[in-house]
Amino acid sequence: MNTLGINEKKTEINRNLQSSVSILQPYMIGSIPIDKLKPKKVRKNTELTLWERLYIPEIVRGMVVTTRHFIFNMIGFVFPPNGKKRSIFTVYYPEEKLTLPDAYRGRPVLVMREDGTERCVACGLCEKICPALCISILGGERENKERYPTYYTLDMSLCVFCGFCEEVCPKEAILMSDEYEGLAEYDRKNMLYPKEKLLVSEKKLQKRIDYVRKIYSKCNY
Amino acid sequence: MIADLIEAVAKILFIFGVNMGFFAPVLGWVERKQSAVMQDRVGANRADIFGFTLIGLLHPVADTIKLLTKEDFIPAGANKLFHTLAPFITLTPALIAFSVIPFGGQYEIYGHTINLVIADLDVGILFIFAFASLSIYGVVLGGWSSNNNWSFLGAMRASAQMLSYEVAMGLAIIGVIMVYGSLRLTDIGAMQENFFKWGIFLQPIGFILFIACATAENKRIPFDIPEAETEIVAGYFTEYSSMKFIMFWMAEFLEMITIAGIITTLFLGAWHIPFISSKMLLSLFSFAGANGATILVMLTNIATFFTKIIFMIWFQMTIRWTLPRFRYDQMMKLGWKILLPLSLINIFITGLVLLL
Amino acid sequence: MSYGLFLMSRVCNFMSDITKELHTEHMVINMGPSHPVTHGTVKFVVTLDGETIVNFEVEIGYLHRGFEKMCESGLWEQAFPYTDRLNYVSSMINNVGYALAVEKLIGIDTPERCKYIRVIVSELSRLSDHFTNVAASGLELGAFTAFLYFVEARDLIWDLLESICGARLTSNYVRIGGLKNDLPEGFKGHTARVFKRCRELWIDVDKLLTKNRIFLDRVRDVGIMSPDDAIAYGFTGPCLRASGVPYDVRKAQPYLVYDRMDFEIPIGEKGDNFDRYLVRMEEINQSMRIVEQALDNIPDGPINVDMPEYRWQSKDDIYTKIESVIFHFKTVVEGIKPPEGEVYFAVEGGNGELGFYLVSNGSGKPYKCRVRPPCFPLTAAMPKMVTGSLIADVVPTFDMINMIGGECDR
Repeated sequence: MNTLGINEKKTEINRNLQSSVSILQPYMIGSIPIDKLKPKKVRKNTELTLWERLYIPEIVRGMVVTTRHFIFNMIGFVFPPNGKKRSIFTVYYPEEKLTLPDAYRGRPVLVMREDGTERCVACGLCEKICPALCISILGGERENKERYPTYYTLDMSLCVFCGFCEEVCPKEAILMSDEYEGLAEYDRKNMLYPKEKLLVSEKKLQKRIDYVRKIYSKCNY
Repeated sequence: MIADLIEAVAKILFIFGVNMGFFAPVLGWVERKQSAVMQDRVGANRADIFGFTLIGLLHPVADTIKLLTKEDFIPAGANKLFHTLAPFITLTPALIAFSVIPFGGQYEIYGHTINLVIADLDVGILFIFAFASLSIYGVVLGGWSSNNNWSFLGAMRASAQMLSYEVAMGLAIIGVIMVYGSLRLTDIGAMQENFFKWGIFLQPIGFILFIACATAENKRIPFDIPEAETEIVAGYFTEYSSMKFIMFWMAEFLEMITIAGIITTLFLGAWHIPFISSKMLLSLFSFAGANGATILVMLTNIATFFTKIIFMIWFQMTIRWTLPRFRYDQMMKLGWKILLPLSLINIFITGLVLLL
Repeated sequence: MSYGLFLMSRVCNFMSDITKELHTEHMVINMGPSHPVTHGTVKFVVTLDGETIVNFEVEIGYLHRGFEKMCESGLWEQAFPYTDRLNYVSSMINNVGYALAVEKLIGIDTPERCKYIRVIVSELSRLSDHFTNVAASGLELGAFTAFLYFVEARDLIWDLLESICGARLTSNYVRIGGLKNDLPEGFKGHTARVFKRCRELWIDVDKLLTKNRIFLDRVRDVGIMSPDDAIAYGFTGPCLRASGVPYDVRKAQPYLVYDRMDFEIPIGEKGDNFDRYLVRMEEINQSMRIVEQALDNIPDGPINVDMPEYRWQSKDDIYTKIESVIFHFKTVVEGIKPPEGEVYFAVEGGNGELGFYLVSNGSGKPYKCRVRPPCFPLTAAMPKMVTGSLIADVVPTFDMINMIGGECDR
């Protein structure tokens, strides 16, 4: 704690200045000795060697590399390796999809309880922290005195998928789902997601709820 | 007389069909797919009819439809006549040059002699060079008439490059002509029946020089300076769209086929299969009777020739997708200071060997 | 013989007359803002004499989004998503740099595990930056295959980053006083697999480019900066090291746990584009070494400081304790409040010294947030590097200084 206190600020700036001046001394940075810096010369030769002067050998070597990739990938097409359709790195996107990691941050969604009501209590923390100002909430009260958002709109044309809303939410009510498709629209009006479009049932989001509990659990603090 | 006419028309239709109908569109697909497989990608496979993509083979069709229906744009201030004329001037020589390349030998079928070449000129190779140099006009006109700085730079580069590499290319071939003693391509092809008399063994330096110069003539990487897209956008065809654009594109592919054809004829034993002479083939096919055997031999030779062409196209594509491109001055230096002296030395050595 | 000499002199005289009387005109062309080489949206106004560059002007600002003003209008934490968009190829380094600057202002010392993870993500980001840069240099010189091999490597690195933070580019991972989350399970094995493939691809690209005469001719002796010039222009990072000055923020002013890591500073000799290429290729290896060391030595423990006034609390506390909820509401709504003061903190970004200068007036928002973008001085030196050379030399030079619009224009 406090190893870099602000009272050291001025001396720090001075030290930076001094060190930047002393760069001019070749191979010395500030007071750091050369053996600690470990510079490593990467340029072997400043003139072309005979091997490099002849165009052909290196061109052949490059063509061997590309041809090797070509042949192995062709074999991979015909005899796919275990568990994969082909040995090529890329995938046919709409037909095949990548497995997303647990941490993946997709479209933000509101959690819907089993009785069809939302978990959100319209506290407004997500609205406050959102750096893109894409959330707008209007709170109301149910008959049982429970607060809920009468109006919860998320403007997907502004959302930057940062995940702050999920991080600050005290009720696990807004989560980043793993959906990333179908977010593009031809009309900006359709990008304004109302509450009904945002609600997703608890069961579908159980994996994410567990993940969020895990990453923000006490043991990490 | 009528048989000759039918033969000529059949040959022309065959070559035209193979080149324009098969190779030119399919090469676009090959270029995409081959580069993709070399680069660990999948390549073009999105165009489909009722869900059948045919591993991307429908893309040439889709491209053609797209380019045909695009607006044919002529920029303001462009010279309309030359702007329209340029792609035609580029495409025509590329098409014509193949007419003197033999794709098979001479065959006696039912008493009629078939010579598998459209025009058996006694100066065949000169004819090719003459027409190859014509395509410069198309490029320069296209670049100049577009009224665009990038096109203009591309045209200047193209004219300098193609003119200087023409010299080295011509000289690289002379060794071959000296060895075989003929300018007629059918003769050169016929003389390579023995595997060890292939041009590539007799003229290895000439082979490398010719590939380098021919790639430069065709303006493909590593010599694609006239159209270097990161430097001068797209060079001389920056302002072209629609069918005119595709004509430049097709000219490039047709030139590739022509180059492959010349290399096959001059260096890779033309239509001959290594270690198997025509007599062996004839005896192999003797079950079909005299005429049938000849027809089978003819077909085998044509297939061999086109297999070699496909291999050379694959080779050119591999070069294109492996190497970076030269800088303008470095390429000129390479052409004038390395390739030209080397080809002269090659001629000298060939002459010495022939004399001794 | 004498007649030949006479003829030669006549020809020479004639040629010199031609060059004297030949009417030449300089051509002004606008490269960019949407030109294949000016990725990152920048415009060059180039005056050409034939193909030789007579005058070269750089116009920047096409990607100016007001990053600094946006940071000043938001809370301290809200700047993290904005920093992602500075150098968008190595966004984690920007996150780490901003977090370290604010922590220096406050005086937080983060836990050991947090420091190690920050080193790991910084180096992974540096890897992705260098992979992209070297790949693009191949692409722009026409070697498309080398480009895609390194893009494959970069994609694998981004898979790693995605498994850590949940996004490939817009990471938003680091927090003031900690991190968003811990490393995922099995991360070490995943990294080992990825690095194995990356090394294979590195060897392939090395074979394709490093000794290829065509590539060498394009990058050697082009865009030369002497060490004095480089320092005078304010170069940092790989471009300065290529000029032969072993200046690396990670060594000169070690932050996090870089002083415990064993790595070398690759330096060049001449300061041309080839040196820059070699330095980046070697730094890829060094970064992989650092990540492996950090993964070997990473201790267990917390990743966040337990300071509710600066780092939002654990969800366990928020769900169970009413005091925590109230305090959480207070910190989120009002923002964290660093003490008054100003601070400058620099980290080694993908292109060089990425500095954050922050001024706090004790409120929940930064009073001033200034970024020292590493590629701004590099872009400023473009005219010096390319004037007098050919137009084709703009391509490797501009690529090797690796100007990133989001960072340069902010």
